[in-house]
Amino acid sequence: MSESESIYGTTLSQESMKVIAESIGVGNLPDEAAKDLAEDVSYRLKEIIQDAAKFMRHGKRQKMSMHDIDHALKIKNIEPTYGFFAKDHVPFRFASGGGRELHFVEEKEIDLNEMVSMSGSQTWPKLPLEITLRAHWLCIDGVQPTIPENPPPVSKDAQKLESVDPTSKLSNKGQSMGVGKPGGGGKSKKLRNVETVHVKQLATHELSVEQQLYYKEITEACVGSDEARRAEALQSLSADPGLHEMLARMCTFIAEGVRVNVVQNNLALLIYLMRMVKALLDNPSLYLEKYLHELIPSIATCIVSRQLCMRPEMDNHWALRDFASRLMAQICKNFNTSTNNVQTRVTRMFSQALTKNNQTHLASLYGAIDGLSELGPEVVKALVIPKIKSISERIEACIEGPGLSSVDKNGAGHIKTLLVKSVAPVLKTMRPPPDIVEEYKLDYGYIGPTLCAAVAKARTQPMALTTNVVSATTLTTNQQQGSSNVGKTMMQTTENISVTGGSPGQQQTGRTIMLGTSRGTGGSTTTGGQKFVILQSRSQTPTTPTTNPNPLQQSQQQHQQQIKFAQGSTGQQKQHISNSAPKLVVVCMATNNHTNTTTISQAKSQNVFSTQQSIERSLSPMEEHSFQ
Amino acid sequence: MDGDKNTLLAVLQLLRKYNLKSTEDLFRKEANLTDITADDNQQTESEVNSVLSAYKSEGDPALYEKAYSELKKFVEGSLDIYKHELGTILYPVLVHMYLELVYNNHSVEAKQLMEKFCGNLEEYYQEDLKKLSNVTKREQMAGNELTDTFKSNQFIIRMSRDTLSILKRHLQEKKHSVLLNIIQEHLYFDMYEGVARNKQQIEATSGAIVGEATRQDNKAKVYYGLLKEPDIQCIPPAEEEEDDTAGTEGDKPKKKKAKKDPLFSKKTKSDPNAPPVGRMPLPNLKDADKLEKLKALREASKRVVLGPDSLPSICFYTLLNAVHGVTAAEIAEDSSLLAVGFSDSAIKVWSLVPQKLRLMKTGDQLQDINKEAEDVLVRMMDDRTAETVRSLYGHSGPIYSLSFSPDRNLLLSSSEDATVRLWSLHTWTCVVCYKGHLYPVWSVRFSPHGYYFATASHDKTARLWATDSHQPLRIFAGHYSDVDVVQFHPNSNYVATGSSDMTVRLWDCVTGSQVRLMTGHKGPIYSLAFSAEGRFLASAGADHRILVWDLAHGHLVAALSSHSANVHCLSFSRDGNILVSGSLDCTLKLWDFTKLAEEMTLEDVNVSHNPDVKTCVETYLLRTFATKNSPVLTLHFSRRNLLLGVGMFEAS
Repeated sequence: MSESESIYGTTLSQESMKVIAESIGVGNLPDEAAKDLAEDVSYRLKEIIQDAAKFMRHGKRQKMSMHDIDHALKIKNIEPTYGFFAKDHVPFRFASGGGRELHFVEEKEIDLNEMVSMSGSQTWPKLPLEITLRAHWLCIDGVQPTIPENPPPVSKDAQKLESVDPTSKLSNKGQSMGVGKPGGGGKSKKLRNVETVHVKQLATHELSVEQQLYYKEITEACVGSDEARRAEALQSLSADPGLHEMLARMCTFIAEGVRVNVVQNNLALLIYLMRMVKALLDNPSLYLEKYLHELIPSIATCIVSRQLCMRPEMDNHWALRDFASRLMAQICKNFNTSTNNVQTRVTRMFSQALTKNNQTHLASLYGAIDGLSELGPEVVKALVIPKIKSISERIEACIEGPGLSSVDKNGAGHIKTLLVKSVAPVLKTMRPPPDIVEEYKLDYGYIGPTLCAAVAKARTQPMALTTNVVSATTLTTNQQQGSSNVGKTMMQTTENISVTGGSPGQQQTGRTIMLGTSRGTGGSTTTGGQKFVILQSRSQTPTTPTTNPNPLQQSQQQHQQQIKFAQGSTGQQKQHISNSAPKLVVVCMATNNHTNTTTISQAKSQNVFSTQQSIERSLSPMEEHSFQ
Repeated sequence: MDGDKNTLLAVLQLLRKYNLKSTEDLFRKEANLTDITADDNQQTESEVNSVLSAYKSEGDPALYEKAYSELKKFVEGSLDIYKHELGTILYPVLVHMYLELVYNNHSVEAKQLMEKFCGNLEEYYQEDLKKLSNVTKREQMAGNELTDTFKSNQFIIRMSRDTLSILKRHLQEKKHSVLLNIIQEHLYFDMYEGVARNKQQIEATSGAIVGEATRQDNKAKVYYGLLKEPDIQCIPPAEEEEDDTAGTEGDKPKKKKAKKDPLFSKKTKSDPNAPPVGRMPLPNLKDADKLEKLKALREASKRVVLGPDSLPSICFYTLLNAVHGVTAAEIAEDSSLLAVGFSDSAIKVWSLVPQKLRLMKTGDQLQDINKEAEDVLVRMMDDRTAETVRSLYGHSGPIYSLSFSPDRNLLLSSSEDATVRLWSLHTWTCVVCYKGHLYPVWSVRFSPHGYYFATASHDKTARLWATDSHQPLRIFAGHYSDVDVVQFHPNSNYVATGSSDMTVRLWDCVTGSQVRLMTGHKGPIYSLAFSAEGRFLASAGADHRILVWDLAHGHLVAALSSHSANVHCLSFSRDGNILVSGSLDCTLKLWDFTKLAEEMTLEDVNVSHNPDVKTCVETYLLRTFATKNSPVLTLHFSRRNLLLGVGMFEAS
């Protein structure tokens, strides 16, 4: 009944009538008059709106516009309300006070003088673009080509549904009939009619020849040496709508690739693979949840693996860790649900590494901190800050302690920089203003003074960094979790990863990255400039496709690339590191080594790897934090 | 004679009402009405009033609810075979009871009645009930389109003899004067012999504002066949045609050739259902037209035969940067031109072929041209002015419809400013402005043979015009609400209209009379398309459904509901095998029309027997193609059966 009441006979309130009467100078409108007026005005309004709906429909729209009302008034021989134009809907603002509640339309006053004086500046409204006509094939002989002009064959919602309920794909064959696959439609229907035995249908993942070709081209381009082709391939991965069917294979390719190249310490290829992940994540028509079990371990490997490159003291594997951390954060943000708990599990994995501070390799430690700090200030607050003291003891030992390798010093230096960068903004909101060096030193040990300086600096520049506090990341894991379930949780996420160990090529089964014990060992045997064969689970091709057939050429290329790396670097030195070898910067990121400047000069001093085009967000502080 | 006099009196009264003194005097003099006194006028005035007061009744408001609930109980308690047919009177009775109560100033009771019973009525009546329930005062009844329609028309209900007698018995038993009055005055029973209809049958044809069509409405004969094609094939160019097909024979399978031939021969044979030659005077073909026809035939010989196994290719034109601004689009018959109408009253014409749009040369330059030259038409145009897109300005309101003339020299546009304009595509200027409609003109269509065109307007009329006359040739009045769309029959003898009163009507251009009334839509109709052979009519609109009608008897053949938003365009493939529909839900759907027509012919059809309405979407829907956020504005099959679509991109 209440529903029908809301439909039938809704009228404007008497109060509205009185307010309107007041506004045109009629005070003390009698109740009776207001009631009658309200009823009549409501009736007229409804009638006008009904007429306006006709204009809306003939205008082939589903939203009513101001003009429709004007036209409706016009056919009723009423003067239209000239001068009211709104591009879209006009939001009502609400205000209350003095016992009155009011809804109103906000109209900003525009200062014409200001408008005129600003002539030529960017504040001028842009001219509307010329209307253009663009033709494309919506369908060719009954098959819809998967081009960006067409909607993706399987919508993201459908992909999502499928990942939740795989049977949905089997049951509603009829619905998908219209979408048409090459060779589908009539042919398969006929076949089904002939079949008399009821066989449970399998969800097929056939790839057409074109798709197989595309897969081959894309994977080759992504890990090949031609940077222009790679950029094109990544662009295609991040924009093309028809990749849904190939997604499973792409993800397997990435997972396998990471597995092999981590063992081989091939930094460049790992970076390429992560860029592929990034591209897939960015593709608006793909829903990756079904493949996270392959992607997350791969990414985690790139974040926390003990060794990612052949010369840890030279190569900038830190950048890869940063990049992968951001990917991980993006995945957590996009796919975390109450049932899969991606973020919880990822957070737990990283925080385990922190708890075992003293056994974890420095590089892994860096990765863990990096991964956590990308997850947002709340995570930093709960999981990183309490650990700072123990971490800083360790890096103090590495940096100040005598007789340690440059690798360790370098690593410790990076951890320090990272900590300052990620923790300072959080500390700023946590600690009350007077920043006293002694207190910091007490709370955070060795790194205290540096942090203090950073926080003080952050306070002086008010805006930019505070914006990131908005996103309150849910945090469910407990940092103090007993070590008993380490193995278990790790297994869930890193099962597939075989990590560099003492002996390369050994397939580790139960081992996880974090638990790498021996920290002094020199890692795997050097693999020279060798190119790696990426094993793929493509059964139809008997020969394992090598990305590049000629090994000699490969090694050359590899060298060339490495030389390129060196050229790209600007050879900055760290304050506390005696090692003055030029750093190889691979991914465009902050290599700001001045420990006391956290943010400002980053844009200037970023080193750009020759492959920078697409990955890589330039690290202005704003952008970086937008990840969280 | 008496009737004549009454008409004259009515005219006189009207003149007086508008204070047209001198016209009145003249009129009196000419009609010898000088002796008529003011008294008579007074009398006629009161007659007019009596029509308005049709609802005057002394019934006690409390009785209404009781009477209605008893009627409802009776309907629900009756035998199953009669139940549904009896149920059809519930809606009109409720409507008229409500109006009677409102008229007699019992607004509260009226509202109660409406709230109590409206929920039990069919879904498709709810919209109208909602509109009706806005009316709560007697004053508001005057001038409201819906109440006027109900007041001045009887609601038509088809009922079998048995059902009707049961109803009559019931009414006599109960003796509710309120109910009896309403049924007597406002309901009309179209009785038929035979079994009462079931629920599906009733639902298929109900929904229109004034009930169903009577059998009488659809008795007239309709010549739905195609006209005999002029024999251009027989005169010399025909040989060329032969050569052409012979040439292509080599690279095409034999079977296709065999199929193609009857296609042409069918056209040359005279269709038994075709209108007699000269029934509707049509313009003579000019030489240029003959050439054009020949070209069309040649193109048609290269046509792909479509079917479930050979679906068409679709080329989709997307209009970018036109935020909700596009209101109409139209593609010329030979697919060379695209006209788009905008809400800012501009019209743009694009050339879809490499040939650009040129201006005609000035008068001086034209004099220099050799008029005997074969390519005089090409020489007329100024090459320096070639452009791919040209704009036409002249209207002062949104453009709602566009139509190219068959020879593509002229373009018609209709607009919110109540005018129709004819544009020359040689000089790119407005040639004629037709002012006849008083309200926005929703639709305009050129006749397939040129010269004539039809318009549909908010003023509830459709009109037939000739391009060389300022006055309409025919006014098709009969719809109870806006006429939203108009479409010419391929033989140019008939015009179909679709309206917001939820009916589709077919009008005879020659006599000006209505020859078919087809009910079944549950919402306004925005699109109409005749099948290639002229027998079927497809309509679609705001109820998201596509209905297919058989013009032979006006039967509903199929109701296809699959879209989820207003359907604004329909088109048949050139071979008539496929029907395509485009909608605001950003999809276009292909329907297997051959199958539909075949199944249809298997059934025994006659005037009184309505065939089963086919609603099985799975059987007929071939494919659905989604566009990327682009509502489909128009669809067009090229001569070779390539499907062209036009849509405007809406950023999400």
